[in-house]
Formats: sequence, structure tokens, C-alpha cells
Amino acid sequence: MSLHIRLQALGNARDTLLRQPIATALTIIALAVVFALPVGLFTALSNLQQLLASWHNQAQISLYLHDDASPQAVAQLRRQLQQSPGVVAVRFVDKNHALADFQHYAGMTAAIQTLGENPLPASLIVELNPLAQSSSSLEAQVQQWSHEPIVRSAQSDLKWVARLQAIVALGTRAVYILAILLALGAVLVMGNTIRLHIEQRRDEIEISSLVGATKSFIRRPFLYQGLIQGILAGFLAWLIVAIAFAVLQGPVDHLANLYGTSFPLHALTVGEGFLLVLISAALGWLGSLVAVGRHLDNTVS
Amino acid sequence: MIEFINVTKHYPGRRHVLRELNLQLGKGEMALLTGPSGAGKSTLLKLLTRLEAVSHGTLRVAGVDLATLRRRHIPAYRRRVGVVFQDHKLLMDRTVYANVALTLQVAGMSARQLDHRVRAALDKVGLGDHWREFPETLSGGEQQRVGIARAIVHTPEILLADEPTGNLDPELSSEILDMFRDFYRHGTTVLVATHDQGQVDRMGVRTLHLAHGQLQEKA
Repeated sequence: MSLHIRLQALGNARDTLLRQPIATALTIIALAVVFALPVGLFTALSNLQQLLASWHNQAQISLYLHDDASPQAVAQLRRQLQQSPGVVAVRFVDKNHALADFQHYAGMTAAIQTLGENPLPASLIVELNPLAQSSSSLEAQVQQWSHEPIVRSAQSDLKWVARLQAIVALGTRAVYILAILLALGAVLVMGNTIRLHIEQRRDEIEISSLVGATKSFIRRPFLYQGLIQGILAGFLAWLIVAIAFAVLQGPVDHLANLYGTSFPLHALTVGEGFLLVLISAALGWLGSLVAVGRHLDNTVS
Repeated sequence: MIEFINVTKHYPGRRHVLRELNLQLGKGEMALLTGPSGAGKSTLLKLLTRLEAVSHGTLRVAGVDLATLRRRHIPAYRRRVGVVFQDHKLLMDRTVYANVALTLQVAGMSARQLDHRVRAALDKVGLGDHWREFPETLSGGEQQRVGIARAIVHTPEILLADEPTGNLDPELSSEILDMFRDFYRHGTTVLVATHDQGQVDRMGVRTLHLAHGQLQEKA
């Protein structure tokens, strides 16, 4: 296939789009909004996951150790724990620190002193990324740790991790469903636009067919139209998401300040942006392909 | 060049439009196809452009058997034929030049390759100076010339015309038909459907009369 034929079809597609600038702009804006919605939600979800992952001090497991555990055995277990998936930090709390904490937080100094000796065990506090693995595998991992020879018992509250993961999974699934529906919507929007163009250019199609144009010659400009509009809609969607995140950064900063922290929002990276353009171009082309396949046969003699 | 052997065309639930039709038109020959409205002249031309398929019989054009021609080979066949329509079938939003160039573009020619051929075709029909204009600014006769230029720009082996003078006054009709006569004198096989008896008598070429689905040679 000669390059000049493709360029000719591209020029034809460009001319058709420029001949109806308002209709073309409206189609591109509609597609951009359709693309921006799920992409914006995906990006928001990704930011939320980053935020949750930083809550590792909230997901802790305490491994209480036998009193006769040697320092070497404790150090070895600590190294082993640090290499486990999802573990952010491992902290050792000796018996004295445990007692001091207990006295400080429980206010039971007098009762403890009557016991004579320190009844609290040393422990290893494991801080976890709550989203690094599923709650069931986390539970299995805790079970495994609790069977270590120097571990007397393990204490964990993994229910909230399970709940958190369920909420994130629900959000992710909802965004996926929305993305699929909106992608379908994009294909339909493009398909309908191309259908209208086919109707408007019925004479041209018929005459081209009569003078010997092949089907691919006739359909190529329509496919390029879908591709061009998809690419432009992708860039516009990228811009919409970037602007939306820039506008949200102020209120997010304010909220984070109230919690004494900071949380920079991450919009799309350049790679993600170009992936968005690629996907929107593919959907634009697909919508055109569907319309051309569906309507061109009725027009070509 | 054109050979009909017992060609029948009928539409489901309707009478036969063409019945056991036989015709031979040699290379470089010209014929006028006459007959009353509804006689099947347009149907016969549609068979030749492969807009319709024959129901029975054999139809060969330039060595191509149109009865068995596969759909994907139809465009290549059509690029060997030139067709002129009564209603011109021009693209009103494109210039005269672009209308004529379309035939060569679909054949895969680049803008540079087709330029001199388009200009030559427009010169041949006397519209060399009108190439930048849009068809709606032209008279009916000039529009038909654009249609003819589009039909001959690729120097087809066969030129078909369906009532090309149907909307034109007698003087313009004569000019247009004389143009077709020039083409056949240069070796193109020409078949023109017309109901204009005055022009038929004036042309003095082979005449085929179609009535009741049957062809008759007229002296």
C-alpha cells in the first residue's frame, strides 16, 4: 500500500473534520469527558492506595517472645521478618520497655509492683503495608510467624485490614465497570459520528465505488477520522485530569495539614498520559471500524 | 469486447427485465441503445458496470466473465470501464479538477502522476479553463462534460453512458454525442443508452433497440 494513498486518505479525513469544526469539537469534547471520568477515578484510586500504604504504623502485628530467647535468635528472626513481603519495619521491644509502656499507658504501676518481677514478655512489632498482600495470605503469614520457636504468641488485628482491602477492591471493581461502560460509550459515540459522516458522504461513496474504489479505499478516511478524533480526545482527557488534580491539590493540602501531614496528589505521568492517548485512539478507531462495517456495506454498490 | 450470451435478468417476484438476450460489440465499436422508458436499458448498463448480477446466461466484457466475477474483483473491473450518467453524479463540494481526479485517485495514482492526465481529459471535453470551479457554477452541458472527463481520464477500454443527453437541449446533445463518436474513433468501445430518436438518426452508428426484454438490431 503506497504511502501517498494513506496520506491522501488522511488529508481527506482531516478535511472532513475541518469542514464541520463545531460538530468535530463537540465529538472530541464528549469523548474526552468519557475518557477523563474513569482515568480520573483510576488516578484518584491510585492516590488513595498510596495514602493507605503509608498507614503502616496502623497495621501492626506483635510477636511475643519466650523469656529465654537468645539475642542471636531474636536478631535472626528480626532479619527474617524484615525480608517478608509487605513488611515495612520490625521493631524490638524488650521486657523493660514493655513494662514502661504498660505503666505509662495503663496506669497500673502499683499493681505491677506487687508482682515483684516483670511479667511482660519482650516482643517484635511488625509494621505492615496493609495493601501489599491479601488479608488471607497475611493471616497465613502471621500463623507461620507464631510457630517460630522463640515466639510465644502472636497478636494481630487483621480484621480492619480485611475491611480496608475489601473497600479498595470494591472501589477498584466499580471503577473497572465504569471504565468498561464508558469505553463502550466512547465506541458508540464514535460509531454514531462516523455513521452520520457516512450518511452525509453517501454520494461520494457511491461515486467512488462506481469508478472502481475498493472497500478499503472508501473506509480508510473514516477510520482515520476516528483515529484523529480519538487521539485529540485522549490529549484533551489528559488535560482535563491534570487540571482537575491541580484544582484539588489545594483542598487536599488543607485537609492533610489538619491531620498534621502532607499528601501531594499524583496526576498522570507522561507514560500514563500517552497510554491514555493510545487507548483513546484505539477506541476511536474501533468505533469507526464498527460503524464502517455496519453501514458501509449498505452504501457501497 | 462486450458479449451477452442468453442473458436473463429478473428480480424476485417481478417480470423478466431482460430475456435470453444476445449481443456482441467488438473492440472500438460504438452502438446506441434505444427503447422506451422501462425497457431495461439502465438494467443492461447496470449489468455491464456490475451494479447488478445476471440471473442466467453469460456476460463477458474485455475477457472478464461478469456472471462469475467475485465481489472483491469488481473494483478492478470497474477501473477498466468509464461510465457517464444522466444525472452526472458529480461531487458538488469538490472542484471540477477533483471530480475528474477521483477516478485516478481510486486507482492509486499520486497527485503528481494524475495532474497531466486530468488536465488532458478536461482539455478534451473543452473545460480546460474551468478546472478550479465547482460544478454548481457550471451549466448542465458543462456538468455533463465533467462527467465525461471523469469517465475517460483513465482511458478506459469501454465507455458506457446512460442517457447522457437526457437533460440537455438538442444542440448540447449533439455536441456530447459527437464527443462519444470521437472516442470510439480513437479505439474505445462505446455503448450509449438514449431515447432521443433525432440524435439516433443523426449519428448513423449501430443501433440496438430494446423492448420487452429483447434486443433488436435496427438498420
